[in-house]
Amino acid sequence: MALLRKEPKSEPTEKWEAQLRKGCLELAILACLWEKRLYGLEILRGLEADSNLVLAEGTVYPILARLKEDGLLQSEWVEADAGHPRKYYWLTAPGRQKVVSMAQFWNGFAANLNSLLKPVLNGKGRS
Amino acid sequence: MTSNPTTSNQATSSQTSANQMIESYFAALSHQLADLPQAKRDEVVRELRAHVLDRLAQPTPPTSDDCRAVLKAMGTPEEIARQYRVELLLKRSAWKIAPWSVLRTLSRWTLTGIQGYIVFVIAMIGYTMGIALYITALFKPLFPHNIGMFVSDHAINLARFPDPPPGTEMLGAYYVPIAVAAGYLFTLVTTVSIRGIVRKFGRLKQKISGIAVSAY
Repeated sequence: MALLRKEPKSEPTEKWEAQLRKGCLELAILACLWEKRLYGLEILRGLEADSNLVLAEGTVYPILARLKEDGLLQSEWVEADAGHPRKYYWLTAPGRQKVVSMAQFWNGFAANLNSLLKPVLNGKGRS
Repeated sequence: MTSNPTTSNQATSSQTSANQMIESYFAALSHQLADLPQAKRDEVVRELRAHVLDRLAQPTPPTSDDCRAVLKAMGTPEEIARQYRVELLLKRSAWKIAPWSVLRTLSRWTLTGIQGYIVFVIAMIGYTMGIALYITALFKPLFPHNIGMFVSDHAINLARFPDPPPGTEMLGAYYVPIAVAAGYLFTLVTTVSIRGIVRKFGRLKQKISGIAVSAY
């Protein structure tokens, strides 16, 4: 709650970044699972490989839980050498369809935005 | 490890405090998740504990510093629990046609803002109407002259004791099925409209919580 109240004070760019990150996280998680079934920490490692997508590791799990509730993921506890079982997730058929359509949307979206941003990033035009 | 008793003791005490740290973290998480069903809560704790144990798995026993770092990277139990609530519980009550589960969520929700309060008021009115209709339907056979749809010049009355309401009773024995249907309709419409609002604000809250994560 304290965090919630502090929220209006945060910088607008930070807000925007947080929203963007949150929106992308779902797609990133689903994409991680494209090749094979993974447990939470493996998914996180996949996300960490390049990104600042995840700020608090624990927040990946509620999203996984919801994706499962939505029927995009399925999960199973598997015994491991580590001494404790791990919960593995994999994409369901609707989940696979969803990632494909999200990925396609993202592609078009990013291409458009990138071409818009080119002049901004090149620093040309207005002096 | 055994060659130097001091180091050994330090390691042991550090391990103990590391374990305590983990235990208190998950106790807090479990407490924070109190509004999830027990089985769900246990599973969440089990899953996150596996994560922490995997993170701490290393050749040397983890120190309390390792532990602190791993738990810090996880986020606070409050934050994680809030995310679960946002992702799961609102959705759950958003889907169930179960007034009590909607009300349970909303009663927690009222604490969090004006929109929650408005929804709560709508819910109370809608469900009260629904329940009142059910009750009149139930008692109609016992008090056929006091309960019914009494239409007078000014108003429609459903019940009055000990004297019957003014006006003419319009429905007779048909009152029972009609009141049940109307009661159901009230409950349904209330639930569906709350569902819509909850979803809308649910999304809003997700946005806010996204920001809160970044603030953290």
